[in-house]
Amino acid sequence: MSPDRREVSLRVNGADRRVTVEPRQSLADTLREDLSLTGTHVACEQGACGACTVLVDGASVRSCLMFAVQAEGCEVTTVEGLASDPEELHPLQRAFTENHALQCGFCTPGFLLAAYELLAARRGPDEREIRTALAGNLCRCTGYQGIVAAVRQADEQWERDTPGPSSGER
Amino acid sequence: MGSRPPRVTSSGSALGARLTRREDPRLLVGAGRYLADVTVPGVTHACFVRSPHAHAAIVAVDSAAARALPGVRAVLTADDLPHRPLLDAVAVPDLRKTPQPALAAGRVRFAGEAVAVVLAESRAVAEDAADLVRVVYEQVPVLTDPEAARTERTTRLCDDLPTNVVYEGGREHGDVDAAFARAAHVLSGRFTTGRFVAAPMEGRGCLASYDRADDRLTVHSSTQSPHLLRRKLAACLDMPEGRIRVLVPDVGGGFGQKIPASPEEVAVALAARATGLPVKWVEDRRENITAAPHSKDQIIDMELAVAADGTFEAIRARILGDSGAYSYNSASTLIESYLSAGLLPGPYRIRDVAWQVTAVLTNKTPISAYRGVGWTASHSAREVLIDRAARLLGRDPVDLRRQNLVREFPHTSPTGMVYDSGSFVESLDTAAELIDYPGLRERQRVARETGRYIGIGVSPYVEPSGWGTEGAAQSSWSFSSHDSVRITMEPSAEVTVAVGTPSQGQGHATSLAQVVAEVLGVDPAEVTVLANDTAAVPMSTAGTRASRTAAVTGGALTLAAQDLRDKLAAIAAGLLDRDPGELVFADGHVHVRGDSGPALPLGALAQRAYFDPAVRAAVPEPDLVVTRFYDPPATYSNGCVMVAVEVDPWTGGVTVIDAAAVEDCGTMINPLIVEGQVLGAFAQGVGGALYEHIPFDADGLPLATSFADYLLPTAAEIPPVRLGHHCSPSPLTVNGVKGMGESGVISTPAAVANAVADALVPFGAEVDRTPLTPEYVAGLIGDPDRPQSSS
Ligand code: FES
Ligand code: FES
Repeated sequence: MSPDRREVSLRVNGADRRVTVEPRQSLADTLREDLSLTGTHVACEQGACGACTVLVDGASVRSCLMFAVQAEGCEVTTVEGLASDPEELHPLQRAFTENHALQCGFCTPGFLLAAYELLAARRGPDEREIRTALAGNLCRCTGYQGIVAAVRQADEQWERDTPGPSSGER
Repeated sequence: MGSRPPRVTSSGSALGARLTRREDPRLLVGAGRYLADVTVPGVTHACFVRSPHAHAAIVAVDSAAARALPGVRAVLTADDLPHRPLLDAVAVPDLRKTPQPALAAGRVRFAGEAVAVVLAESRAVAEDAADLVRVVYEQVPVLTDPEAARTERTTRLCDDLPTNVVYEGGREHGDVDAAFARAAHVLSGRFTTGRFVAAPMEGRGCLASYDRADDRLTVHSSTQSPHLLRRKLAACLDMPEGRIRVLVPDVGGGFGQKIPASPEEVAVALAARATGLPVKWVEDRRENITAAPHSKDQIIDMELAVAADGTFEAIRARILGDSGAYSYNSASTLIESYLSAGLLPGPYRIRDVAWQVTAVLTNKTPISAYRGVGWTASHSAREVLIDRAARLLGRDPVDLRRQNLVREFPHTSPTGMVYDSGSFVESLDTAAELIDYPGLRERQRVARETGRYIGIGVSPYVEPSGWGTEGAAQSSWSFSSHDSVRITMEPSAEVTVAVGTPSQGQGHATSLAQVVAEVLGVDPAEVTVLANDTAAVPMSTAGTRASRTAAVTGGALTLAAQDLRDKLAAIAAGLLDRDPGELVFADGHVHVRGDSGPALPLGALAQRAYFDPAVRAAVPEPDLVVTRFYDPPATYSNGCVMVAVEVDPWTGGVTVIDAAAVEDCGTMINPLIVEGQVLGAFAQGVGGALYEHIPFDADGLPLATSFADYLLPTAAEIPPVRLGHHCSPSPLTVNGVKGMGESGVISTPAAVANAVADALVPFGAEVDRTPLTPEYVAGLIGDPDRPQSSS
């Protein structure tokens, strides 16, 4: 191994992976280029658009702003980890198609993971909370209405352990 | 599972069905394949060395240090890559041409223009090397102000032209002077539309490989117009078109920015040919905001003549378009200022119109197409004046518009557009109803009493759509519209359609499949749409743009599917010993009308067509392949956008608090997709109205270079939009389909601008530009504690 490269061990979508990277290499580039997980998209590389959002130990992270070496020992979830089979969509993904929450699909993986983080943490967010939670992600195609509707529907349909603020209503 | 569209049970249920999209499941699991995801063995990564100056002579380029960096394969400049420059193809009389090289030769004309291209084993190394390329520049005076550039004689951007003016022309329709002399009121003012950038989430990019033995070039590109790119590459590289193949992967949005062939695409193709290496360029965000084409950026001086009873009599406009450094290829600068003029009357009955258009070169990024093209600017200027007229006359702005909207169809506008059908008044009324206009007015009144400022803006529109030759001609535009499509039925009865209009997110894999399924009586899921390879699809000279795919490609597919059905019917008639007229195509079967016996599955029929020579007695050529051509008549969609805003008088911040959008695009192929287009365009319109603008400093350097300073609206800024539909099918096009998708960008900025103006009535302020930034709005308000009136 050349001296300017480092070995990194991490868990990605439930599988142990080991990569050798330059210290300056972003987690996004590592996922895309070293692990062939091209579902993580890069649209600004400046932390401004959220397209590259993945979960690191359950929290959303802009993978363009995180170095791969910082992910040593971490658990990373990418869009491929939600469901990788188009026939077996996650309830969140299903809600996205049913509510026309994507057009070109370039922003979609980032939105899915941002929404996943929100819904994994709590039940029953209202429209305003959803919009605020997604305000770190840019979509140029949809105008967001379908995305917000999809998150609301997924909140209803995704069976999960998350305690709700008003679980009696459900 | 939401992964497949629901089954269609009979013929006639596919067109107009609200089907979820075929393309979604793949994209939702991260299996989309965009340009950045495409690779080939030995791929080499390109990074452009771009000018830090807006206007300078290139004195010397020293690339020794860059070439010495390990991993660098080549550093190429214009001298290394001889080629023909890009040239705009628009044939408007008196339009001057400004050839644009793929790499700047001798001189740079805008900050961000590519001067050299570095090829390396990775993008990171290519970027490192690009930093090591030393370019010696000699700066020359910079022109940033289009009005100054117009009269400037010494500093010129294009040496072959006597001035910086690339177009100056005008026209008068009717007796405009007389109309103005007669008018009870004349409203006049200047309106400036900001400099937008389309900013698709995926930037531009391409991957070119050259096969020297065969003299063949293969280019993967994130383009909207693969055949157009092929034509431009052929011209610039001096290659026969047939030796160039353009493939289009999934594309992450385009909105017009990816219509023209870009200098970068030409440079990458040249580099691939010169070095024999496959070369890949993935545009980064800074490049997309600073070097990819910008749009809008017009200054319009407009006058509106109004009769005492509120009738709009005439419009006169002087339009100045800031072209940037080149009249951009394949669109030309006239995509803004000249098209702007054609839509001056908009959806209103205005008899007399005169315009003067000037387009000038400045040291800025070139202007090209972006959703709504030049129409956004003239529409905004007109609508702002109409609101001023309403205030002057003491009229309600919705009512004043209703009085003047076109009511009878066909209607020929003074600039020569023939509105084929529409629901101009109905759409206005539906929008007002959806947003509860009277209720909002009351809310506004109550709010004002407590020092809160709510405003309402309305913006009815007409959208020239579905452009074929005639549609373009009615906008006085030369436009090559030549589209053919091919349908193939396999022996299994699966259907493949091949078209030259790829999708950038508009859902063609679904909507075009619906069009074909409707005719053949099959499940749309059985129809596969292929649009990604010039070697596999018939010609579309223009590609996906000008809201044309539904009308043009959809129309051609309907005709082709009908031909295919006729042929299948003839074969089936022979087999069943029936008359073809007795046959009905539904559920993937051929039924005999009035006969409840077993129907013939299409699969069985197709098998016979392919493998049973006996059918040739009835149908000598039973091939199940049909090609059709369609160039539709001009057609116009319409609708209305209404918004309510609240303005914070202390910060100047504007919040859109409510919105309604009503669309009439004739026959809808898929309402879900139509609504997606309406909502997406609305959000872009809000962005242009409030946030989006690329200012330049006096040195010609862009002051917005990232998403931190070119602000796109987020989910938090866009309100829920109340959607409405009317349906006035075109009497002229196949299926009555019109194009749609751009209207939100045409109409929404005006709605927001007028809502802000309405909110600021107590301060006696008028808006005269977009974007309406907090700084600008605060300046209009002055002292928030001192409204001038207390209406
Ligand atoms: S690519 Fe990471 S935030 Fe935009
Ligand atoms: S779907 Fe295209 S950017 Fe969101």
